[in-house]
Amino acid sequence: MLRESSRAKGESYDLSLLTGTKGDGNIPHGALLVVFAEAVLGDDDRRLQEVQAAIRDQMGDAAFVDAAAIVATFNAIDRVADATGIPIEDGKAASTADVRAALGINAFAEQRGEIADPRERPSVERI
Amino acid sequence: MTISYAQPPFAVRADIVAAHQQAWSRLAHPGTWFSGAARLAIAAEVRHAPQCALCLRRKQALSPYGVDGGHDNLGVLPARVVEQIHRIVTDPGRLTRTWFDGVTASGTPDTEYVEIVGVVATVVSIDTFCRALGVLPHALPAPISGEPLRRRPRTAHQRGEAWVPMIHPKDLEGELETPEEQKLATYWGGVLANIRRALSLVPEEAYAWFQLVETQYLPGRWMRDFANEYRAITHAQIELIAGRVSVLNQCFY
Repeated sequence: MLRESSRAKGESYDLSLLTGTKGDGNIPHGALLVVFAEAVLGDDDRRLQEVQAAIRDQMGDAAFVDAAAIVATFNAIDRVADATGIPIEDGKAASTADVRAALGINAFAEQRGEIADPRERPSVERI
Repeated sequence: MTISYAQPPFAVRADIVAAHQQAWSRLAHPGTWFSGAARLAIAAEVRHAPQCALCLRRKQALSPYGVDGGHDNLGVLPARVVEQIHRIVTDPGRLTRTWFDGVTASGTPDTEYVEIVGVVATVVSIDTFCRALGVLPHALPAPISGEPLRRRPRTAHQRGEAWVPMIHPKDLEGELETPEEQKLATYWGGVLANIRRALSLVPEEAYAWFQLVETQYLPGRWMRDFANEYRAITHAQIELIAGRVSVLNQCFY
């Protein structure tokens, strides 16, 4: 979705931000939002308080609340996806193959013993 | 017990407050396979899991499957259910098909497992929101008495896509047997992302879970409308946060 957004806007976002590269990645406040996500999922409460204050100061309270809602959503969506074993959709597999390989994200599927690309799974009944 | 965000010195969107109140109320009511009391016991165990010593040792191990022992738990739920809740909460990125096969072999029906996942997701999501804002987690509500629905949708099938049977939108064409399926058919329409289908073996859970998701994230019709912004952060900022959270959770999907 980040790449779709990038293409739609005609802008060039640095997707390696997702895997920990420092910087904004051409996204306004990108570094701050990444640190916020890391702090919420981490256990350093003092660090989290600093980042919360920085977001409210630099982006405003409405942005702070919306950013919190996104962390909350995906921290749970990831669990639903992983606990039910859903694959990515065929179309998404095709369109993200290069970026998944470049960022090393396929390893997340492989550590679960899954074939990353669902199009290579032999026993799926397709409608 | 109703949820409020009146304490912090900033406003929380009214639609988020309403969605959280609705989700919290659902936790207390009888579900499809569990009573309100059982759903709340699952919710309480979700909150207890991060303090479990076994889960901590497993999380630090190269593989969680070589670390045996008993979970620190609240003593309300069967050990097999505690294992399922704790693993989903503390180490979801390393769940495997073999582990899931063990879930069903241990005596948890796939329907009950899907409802457990729905309760876990609800509690994790709302508790994460509170932590992100710097407010205390909400107290769990009191259980509402009543019987679970206990209705398995005949439209859900195992097609080898996911570990659990799911409903496909094409399964919902034509005459439908239950109000839950009719509600999903109206809500879904067309081809769907697998994440929307993931909990559809328990249609009520799938529907309610995505009401919360769409409120906190974006409704489907807005997700790819990159010409307009609907939140106080942009599509790019939203997807950056979403992507970073998923990488931290080692979630491939």
